[in-house]
Amino acid sequence: MAGGGGGDGEPEFQVAPMIDVLLTILIFFMTITSAQVLKVDKSIKLPIAPDAQKPDNQRAQAVINVRWNPAAKKAQFVFDDKAYDQSALLVPLLKHAREVGEKKITANQNPTFRALIRGDREVPALHVSLAMNAAAEAGISDISFSTVNKD
Amino acid sequence: MRRFEPNPSDGALGFQIAPMIDVVFVIMLFFMVMAGEVKVEKELNSQLPGVAPTSGPTDFVDEQIITIAENGEVSLNDEPMDTPNSRDLPQLKSTLLRLKQNADAAKTPAIVTIISEEQAKYSRTVDVLDALAVAKIESVSFTVSEDE
Repeated sequence: MAGGGGGDGEPEFQVAPMIDVLLTILIFFMTITSAQVLKVDKSIKLPIAPDAQKPDNQRAQAVINVRWNPAAKKAQFVFDDKAYDQSALLVPLLKHAREVGEKKITANQNPTFRALIRGDREVPALHVSLAMNAAAEAGISDISFSTVNKD
Repeated sequence: MRRFEPNPSDGALGFQIAPMIDVVFVIMLFFMVMAGEVKVEKELNSQLPGVAPTSGPTDFVDEQIITIAENGEVSLNDEPMDTPNSRDLPQLKSTLLRLKQNADAAKTPAIVTIISEEQAKYSRTVDVLDALAVAKIESVSFTVSEDE
């Protein structure tokens, strides 16, 4: 009894669908690898927290980067790709970001506008607290801290 | 001198599938390995203390205070937990898990405030926030103590 595929000959190994599948898997792995790499800011070494939650990218948020210069022992606050020495300078910018972001808020997935603080692991807690104070003055009470899963 | 002339009987040098599959396999293997090693950005959440409405009755709950010293020493309600070099904080994690279970049994929210010294490293605060995430304590606020 002949196998499937019809015809007289035996079913042959089909190269074309195999290439399709291979390329699809390749694109999948390329996407998940590069999507994560793009987010990493080289100037900031995020602290490690293996038990932290997955990032919620659906939320309306303002991202505050807190850089640390160990040589000068000086912190810098980065918001929208601009660096500031004083956290108080962030307040009007965060207020504006909140007003714009709150228009995108929906009931379930995106309940409140939040501030996401990406602080260097070596930065003293004082500077993270200053960034939180700036967010509080701008009327943002929901604060999240960015971490990485491994070193 | 003899000139090289392609012989039509040898067959045309067409597109070779086998080496292409080899290359695709190697590239795929590379990305598969990289996908496991890639650093993933995660997040820890906290809530700043806000203004509570005063018209209704207010429930008073036990608030746990975690202090972080400049040398990395972590204390829960003034009781030292683990060593300053311990990154996993197992003692703090187990104590917080017990506190959370007790709070759930009493149907009261577990509230924790982290007070860090100004010059303590931020990574130590994240270690404590990670321990709180393990215990599933969500009402967390963070502040720094002023130097005396």
